[in-house]
Amino acid sequence: MERSTAGTTAMIRADDLSKSYGRTQAVSGLGFAVDAGQICALLGPNGAGKTSTLRMLLGLSAPDTGSARILGRPVGLGAEVLGRVGVLVDGPAFVPHLTGTRNLKLLWSATRRAWPPPALDDALDLAGLGAAIDRKVKGYSTGMKQRLMLAQALMRAPDVLILDEPANGLDPAEVRTLREHLGALARHGAAVLVSSHQLAEVQQFATHIVVMNLGRLVTAGPLADLLGDTDAYRVQLDDPRGAAEVLRRMTGVTAVTARGTEFVVAAPGVAPRDVVQALVTAGIGVTSVQQVSRSLEQVFLTMTEGDTGHAAR
Amino acid sequence: MLRVELSTQLLRIRTLIALACLAAVPALAALAGASHAGHRNGDQGGLFGASTYSALNHTMASLQFIAPLLLPIVVALLACAIASADRDWGTLRYLYVAPVTRSRLLAGKLGAVAVTTLTATGCVLAGGLISGLALFGWHPFHIIGAADLTGGAAAGRVLAATGYTLLCMLSIAAVSFVLGLLLPRGAEALGAAVAFVVAASILNGQPSLHTIAVMLPVHYWQNWTDLFTPAGTARLGTGIVVQIATIALAAGISVLVLHRRDPAA
Repeated sequence: MERSTAGTTAMIRADDLSKSYGRTQAVSGLGFAVDAGQICALLGPNGAGKTSTLRMLLGLSAPDTGSARILGRPVGLGAEVLGRVGVLVDGPAFVPHLTGTRNLKLLWSATRRAWPPPALDDALDLAGLGAAIDRKVKGYSTGMKQRLMLAQALMRAPDVLILDEPANGLDPAEVRTLREHLGALARHGAAVLVSSHQLAEVQQFATHIVVMNLGRLVTAGPLADLLGDTDAYRVQLDDPRGAAEVLRRMTGVTAVTARGTEFVVAAPGVAPRDVVQALVTAGIGVTSVQQVSRSLEQVFLTMTEGDTGHAAR
Repeated sequence: MLRVELSTQLLRIRTLIALACLAAVPALAALAGASHAGHRNGDQGGLFGASTYSALNHTMASLQFIAPLLLPIVVALLACAIASADRDWGTLRYLYVAPVTRSRLLAGKLGAVAVTTLTATGCVLAGGLISGLALFGWHPFHIIGAADLTGGAAAGRVLAATGYTLLCMLSIAAVSFVLGLLLPRGAEALGAAVAFVVAASILNGQPSLHTIAVMLPVHYWQNWTDLFTPAGTARLGTGIVVQIATIALAAGISVLVLHRRDPAA
């Protein structure tokens, strides 16, 4: 197994990956690694090259240059190491005239493995299809197909998960269940790579992000480091009356925004204890003070907006 | 992979209907000729004229009737589907990441093409034999204007005719399989395969285009009927060589296509 730049075990590794389709450069010199226990979100606007990257990582597309490795082994079409990878790529796909169960059996037994797979029960719980699992897939809704495909990816108890837009078609409760499931897998040592457009959702479960734009790497690293803290505090008060006046009078406070009993105070260079002290001195009870972090959406748009160019696949 | 391909294709309603049609045609023909049981079938000669004499006669006549068009269309339908259905459905990428290698995938598909071709041919024979037994009975194989064949001779010729027809159907299956790999959709491949059979049949009927027709496998598909005439096996050799060459060429192209194509392209 290879060592990542952080000195830990790289379960997924892309080194200098490049791919073009005709004159369109889909991916150019991309490199990143995902270690055990990490949930890495692959982000980028449409045409950034995310799906092309996932295809190369899975051996479905041969890179023009560079290499992809999973669990330290080079990946090609049908590579043996893929047996330890759970995959959802380019959306769900099934044999329409077969039942959900039959489809799962088909993909599992294609590699001469004995039914059932090791994590079938957990995967079916996540899919939550109930009796519909024994109905023909052609009658499934988009969400049902997505859940069945996720069950297919998870039933093999994978060491590595590579999922392209896994939350597509899922309702909020299903998204939360999926998030918890992925978190549990990562805590047990799996590496998870998720491509997604749902930034607010990604912010809730990703530990790391890789941002691409126009086929190139924009940034990669721990989510917390990339988001960082702002100079603003979120202050929760018992009674907001008079608080805005007190806060605005403080030296260093540049803006105060009130939302009921919550205030957002922009105060560069001001320590939180000074904010609390000023309020308490004025007889206003403070319930909590939190430093405001930037949202992933803000970070993402800052990194990717304004770029123009030919779209990649 | 063979089991995957077979369970995917043979359990389809349209496949079952197509196979049922192959078996139903001999049964309907038997019903139409039931009133002539034991006698010559109208004014017709050859295998058709003798079809009402016995179950085996009816089986061979059914094969001669179905083999030029209906049987190859069904065989092409199955072969095109085996080649292209997983791409049409999108399941091909999930097979590759299952993971299945290109070689295993191709071997499974070619095996499935062979089994389904055998099944389709078997349906014609079974339909002819069962309906012939029910309506004409089990009698010596009759040849109009000649002595009945002995049991051994009849069995040998029927087996040879079946094997030869199977080989011919494998050649159109191989051509259809390649079209299924090359063309974007299975429906387009099936259309092209059927057009090939029809065009080749038309060419075959044009004496002025004889030089082109002899290069196509379709030209030799009915040569097995000589087994039941004094000409015997004289024309079978060329037919066998052409069918095998077609199968080898198509299999070679299949290997090249499947091994060189980027599944994401």
